[in-house]
Amino acid sequence: MFEFLFKYPAAAFAKGELVLLGRWPLWLLAAGVLLAAGALAWQIRRRPATRAGAALAGLRPAAVWLLQTCLVALVLLLVWHPALSIATLKPEQNIVAVLIDDSRSMALSEEGGTRLEQAKRTLASGLLADLGRRFQVRLYRFGTSPARIEKLEQATAGAGASHIGESLKEIAAEATSLPIGAVVLLSDGADTRGGIDLETIGAIRRHRIPVHTIGFGREKFARDIELAGVETPARALPDSRLAAQVRIRQQGYARAKARLAVRESGKLVASREVVLANGEQTEAVMFQAGPAGARNLEFTIEPLAGEENLRNNAVAQLVNVEALKPRVLYLEGEPRWEFKFIRRAIEEDTGLQLVSMLRTTENKVYRQGIGDPKELEQGFPARAEELFGFQGLIIGSVESGYFTPAQQELIREFADRRGGGVLFLGGRAALAEGGYARAPFAELLPVTLPERKGTFLREETGVALAVAGRDHVVCRLEERPEKNDERWRKLPPLADHQQAGEPKPGALVLAEMKTPGGRALPLLVTQNYGHGRTAVFATGGSWRWQMLQELSDQSHELFWRQMLRWLVTGAPGTVAASTPRPVVSDESRVPLRVAVRDKAFRPVADARVQARMMGPEGAAETIELEPRAQEPGVYETQWTAEKAGSYVAEIEARRGEEQLGRDVLMVRREDGVAENFRTGQNRELLERLSAQTGGRYYRPAEAARLAKEISYSEAGITVRELRDLWDMPFVFLLALALRSTEWLLRRKWGVV
Amino acid sequence: MRRRVQLLAVLLGIALCGALLAFQGRFRGFRGEVDNDDAPLPPDWNEKTEYTFARLRYPSVRFSYRFRGNWATDYYKADRQFVQGVRRLTRIHTRSIEQVVDLDSDEIYKWPWIYAVEVGHWDLSEAQCRKLRDYLLRGGFLMVDDFHGTWEWDVFMNSMQRVLPDRPVVDLENKDALFHVLYDLEERFQVPGIQYWYSGRNYEQDGIEPRWRAIYDDKGRIMVAICHNMDLGDAWEWADHPSYPEPYASLAYRIGINYIIYAMTH
Repeated sequence: MFEFLFKYPAAAFAKGELVLLGRWPLWLLAAGVLLAAGALAWQIRRRPATRAGAALAGLRPAAVWLLQTCLVALVLLLVWHPALSIATLKPEQNIVAVLIDDSRSMALSEEGGTRLEQAKRTLASGLLADLGRRFQVRLYRFGTSPARIEKLEQATAGAGASHIGESLKEIAAEATSLPIGAVVLLSDGADTRGGIDLETIGAIRRHRIPVHTIGFGREKFARDIELAGVETPARALPDSRLAAQVRIRQQGYARAKARLAVRESGKLVASREVVLANGEQTEAVMFQAGPAGARNLEFTIEPLAGEENLRNNAVAQLVNVEALKPRVLYLEGEPRWEFKFIRRAIEEDTGLQLVSMLRTTENKVYRQGIGDPKELEQGFPARAEELFGFQGLIIGSVESGYFTPAQQELIREFADRRGGGVLFLGGRAALAEGGYARAPFAELLPVTLPERKGTFLREETGVALAVAGRDHVVCRLEERPEKNDERWRKLPPLADHQQAGEPKPGALVLAEMKTPGGRALPLLVTQNYGHGRTAVFATGGSWRWQMLQELSDQSHELFWRQMLRWLVTGAPGTVAASTPRPVVSDESRVPLRVAVRDKAFRPVADARVQARMMGPEGAAETIELEPRAQEPGVYETQWTAEKAGSYVAEIEARRGEEQLGRDVLMVRREDGVAENFRTGQNRELLERLSAQTGGRYYRPAEAARLAKEISYSEAGITVRELRDLWDMPFVFLLALALRSTEWLLRRKWGVV
Repeated sequence: MRRRVQLLAVLLGIALCGALLAFQGRFRGFRGEVDNDDAPLPPDWNEKTEYTFARLRYPSVRFSYRFRGNWATDYYKADRQFVQGVRRLTRIHTRSIEQVVDLDSDEIYKWPWIYAVEVGHWDLSEAQCRKLRDYLLRGGFLMVDDFHGTWEWDVFMNSMQRVLPDRPVVDLENKDALFHVLYDLEERFQVPGIQYWYSGRNYEQDGIEPRWRAIYDDKGRIMVAICHNMDLGDAWEWADHPSYPEPYASLAYRIGINYIIYAMTH
């Protein structure tokens, strides 16, 4: 219909430019329209004093004036000779690249056969022939990169991944030597890289090649559950409790119950039941890290009856359990039962070393857990090199005045620069009672302390989990969340409590205290600070959980082990290697980033950093990392994992002869998995790609029009054409409509 | 008006009686078991503190709880005089008066350090033995003192072996942390009771040699610290007596303080 009325397809108007070919200047057209409008207005106002003239009262003359003026303006516009200036591909001199998605998701069967069969049918039913009549057609199939094919049969949906952006970039690169006028992409849009980045879009746009897309596949399955993603800490301590955040997406199973499981080598590590919500949801599942070594974990959601795609129910994740024994320094200002019972809880944890300093008298400090008799002999560390040797720091009932200003600043930097964890306990000389509000490390506190004294009370106080604590590794005393909630409520009252103030924005309240008066006060509050993390535990009386419960009850021990493990998790060594993707799916490039610090955790910009990569078949290679210009102390490289399997990277940093540190990183490449996810047609991606490159998205049924519309392109060998618009049927219909409307109105008013 | 005054007087009377009862329940109620139940209270007697000297009230072989129980020997003066030293010499937040605890309720779990005197006369029931075992294994600490010679040792062990049947009593070595946690106490001597004043002897019965003994838990931490053939309680009680030798009192204070700090750190 559009083409009937306007003579040319909509694409021509979208890409073309409207011009006026008349010789006279444009202002003359405007002046003519104004003159005509004025003359008509004068004429209508001079209506005779007849009955007909009297009938044209109110707004009626204005309507007549408007219709007549529009008609005159239209006629004048035609005199100026309107036309469409448009670039079109020169017939037979341009190449049209036809890219067929050859990834495995194209083998999914739907109503009309597999997606690939539908794509082939679309091409074979005239589109390919139509294109061939006007252009040279090059056929490609693509997975991770495009490959030229001669026949459609050569596309078999056998590629393990589809990298649409990368493939288009390669085609665009060919355009520098070939007159590629347009690209036709037949795909389900299931890009296994998760999308097309702006850089790739930019590269395609630079070549001005329009990408026309034809989408295949259903956009949504009627009944499907998909594990959309899993987030776990990349590193863990042996026997730690870890929390994984699992994103689940479902269609057709709202409110159904499903079982989420974690397995290693087929053996069940943890599981829990989840109630499926509409759309996407995130669920936490907790599990034990186990002994040191690489943990290849598989997260699965058990299939439900009638599920259409079972291959997207499992996701692999790699956790590197490091054989480390982080050290935590605990400074206590006075002998307290809390001190004794924390020590006892941690003594049995082989994965942590608790070093403590206790002020027994005004002038004596009793040290426990020290490495050698000289350690901490001079008191609390005054040098960064000494304090930063610890990964965690606990400050008990110690007034801020006990620290020198330099030590106070060092405590702040312990979290900020060194990336350690700092835990503040409640006590009669702690928090507001200890004057922390005015100390430099007040910034570390996840609470704004009250501005008064008398906040520490030796009154028994009940405890309860806060909302944020229900799925937090520190607070998980029972596997099942409901049971865990109940266990917290049943914990014996704390021996004392401290009013810690209001949580700061961004802080998480994990547990609360219920005072005898019924007030809820924050008990355990955490926040991230700089590179580290901090927490307040506003009591010195959790030892009652040990003394007032059955001997077999492990609540107290479990809580404190989890607390301290959380405190030191993520505290980096002097050499810290990382990669954004420990598990790469159908991809070989692995970015590697190493931060190198000295013992005071200052960046080292002049280090030599090498990574020795050991592959799945024992092959090893050593690569050199390059310093990153914008970030001193950071070294990067991009390394290629040629084959599927597990890789170990041993990183070493040196400065001259001095070894600055070592780190180990594990990476796994797995092939043929990513294609099982996001298998519905990603129409949004295809439409965006077309829109941003000047092409258009077509459904298979509309694809026949593509051959005609594809000519309008700025790429390849083009010719600029001028196409008349005066003879568009729409123009005549508009003129007729204006005149008819006026006549009909006049008849109605009785002034004909 | 008169009725109002009467009502007010009744209410005040009830409040006063309630306060007295509460006050009695806190640490009194042992009339007949102790010699000096009418002791004056220090002004800060009701201060809530971290550490409290908890005295174990136990049934004796001969007297059960009735009459003058052995548990109350040196009560209350030893306790209060000793904690004055604890307050002065350490940073431990200490209550000025003692707390009497027994093994008949769960209240004992709130007092992780307990002192038992004259345990050469104690006679714990099976239920009390179970409770004390549980208390010790959860992390509680027991210091026993002022029992002498073979006969009293046997009486002590008769109950102790029912508390912790599978754990040996061992002689403490000088290097044990108990003797170094605050004061270095490698040079120790027998601390006699007040009887030294009139008898001139350091020992009682056949307890000639002082024995510093202990029972450890599985992790090598002392649960029960045993002061056999000595009388630290008397030394605390008579530390202010001009005839009681100062070196004995000083050592008794240092030992007591070390035992508390050990219990609060191990």
